[in-house]
Amino acid sequence: MTTHGGFEPVFCTVVPPHVLDKLARNDDPALSGPARRTLMRDSELRGRRRVTTEFGLAAAPTAKAPSDQPLRTIYDAGHTTALPGTKVRAEGSEPGQDATVNRAYAGLGATFDLYLKAYARHSIDGDGLPLDATVHFDEGYNNAFWNGEQMVFGDGDGEIFLDFTIPIDVIGHELTHGVTQYTANLTYYGQPGALNESMSDVFGSLIKQYTLGQTAAEADWLIGAGLLAPGVTGKALRSMKEPGSAYDDDVLGKDPQPGTMDDYVRTGRDNGGVHINSGIPNHAFYLVATALGGHAWEKAGQIWFDVLTGGELSDRALFTDFAKLTVAAAKARYQEGDELQAVSKAWEQVGVRIL
Amino acid sequence: MRIQVRRTGGFAGIERHKEVDTSGRPDAHEWQALAEKAVAAGRVTPPIGVPDGFNYEITVDGRTVYAADPRLTEEQRRLISKVLKEGA
Repeated sequence: MTTHGGFEPVFCTVVPPHVLDKLARNDDPALSGPARRTLMRDSELRGRRRVTTEFGLAAAPTAKAPSDQPLRTIYDAGHTTALPGTKVRAEGSEPGQDATVNRAYAGLGATFDLYLKAYARHSIDGDGLPLDATVHFDEGYNNAFWNGEQMVFGDGDGEIFLDFTIPIDVIGHELTHGVTQYTANLTYYGQPGALNESMSDVFGSLIKQYTLGQTAAEADWLIGAGLLAPGVTGKALRSMKEPGSAYDDDVLGKDPQPGTMDDYVRTGRDNGGVHINSGIPNHAFYLVATALGGHAWEKAGQIWFDVLTGGELSDRALFTDFAKLTVAAAKARYQEGDELQAVSKAWEQVGVRIL
Repeated sequence: MRIQVRRTGGFAGIERHKEVDTSGRPDAHEWQALAEKAVAAGRVTPPIGVPDGFNYEITVDGRTVYAADPRLTEEQRRLISKVLKEGA
């Protein structure tokens, strides 16, 4: 059924894409650097075109303000890989028998709520975009992802992972990939990719904290708590409080996340370690939030949100670029106070230098 | 025929690697047919997939191709799940 047809990227360069791909993976930075920049620019253009098209279709005829209510639709893939699948729950309808469907619906609502109430953002595009999710994707599928248009959740195999709709922070994580796509559009490779992942972990965790009404001191700062099957030795998939400590298991191996630049992992796998090095900005956020105390989404979250959506964060931003912008955002919003100090100190602690 | 599958990325960012040697297996022909189709539809370099999507590396008798979720062909999806399930 699925082929590459229609999804092959249109490159604007004269260098064939497979050559660029190969160069981008070369050990010599003189070769890999320019190739990576070209690939990133191309993917940026493709992303922009896609987003522009979607905006054009959605926003052209009406100029009225977006609704304060979400517009959720849950689909069931029936253990196949056909998207979106059969529509099983629409906005406003009563909960059904399927707990997975109900959790997805509630999680989308919680995410919509945090973005609207804490940051006055209407849905992931800021313009009331309908929220679609497909559950029961494939058989025993150990993953959840954002495909550029909707969320997709697997049931887990029951041996290592349980249902991916169980942790609300996973739902928030996937939706935040949408927010990032519509704002800074951080390239999903290397450091900008790790920042993209970190944005999803930060706001995913904040959605959980907001739903539970927790302060920074009360929160567990875990990503994916409740997702690991009973036999697995671990408490979650990632820890923002203590990166590298989430699991240590015979089958899964050990949580590879670093918490500081000293342990930064250089790899070509996992899109250049996007799920690994995200531990560093994740930990910086945890440090800011706990230093300031209270509800993390109010001040620390506001600063991060300002940077993500402020228009100055480049799609190719490195950790240091992001750090610099958080310092500027803290100053702009809270002047020379504790907030500014907490942000500067956090980056220093994780070893990200602000130039 | 030696078929290897490496899966990286995904929400968890946990790597999986399994392989199957089809020589002497009663279903060797089916494996071979499936592997040939999966490889023919593969890419020579890793595509940058969707956020949290799995990336796959399929190696058949030393020849490696790449693919990423959710854009797999039916044969690629079947081969990957068979190798990850039955492989060592």
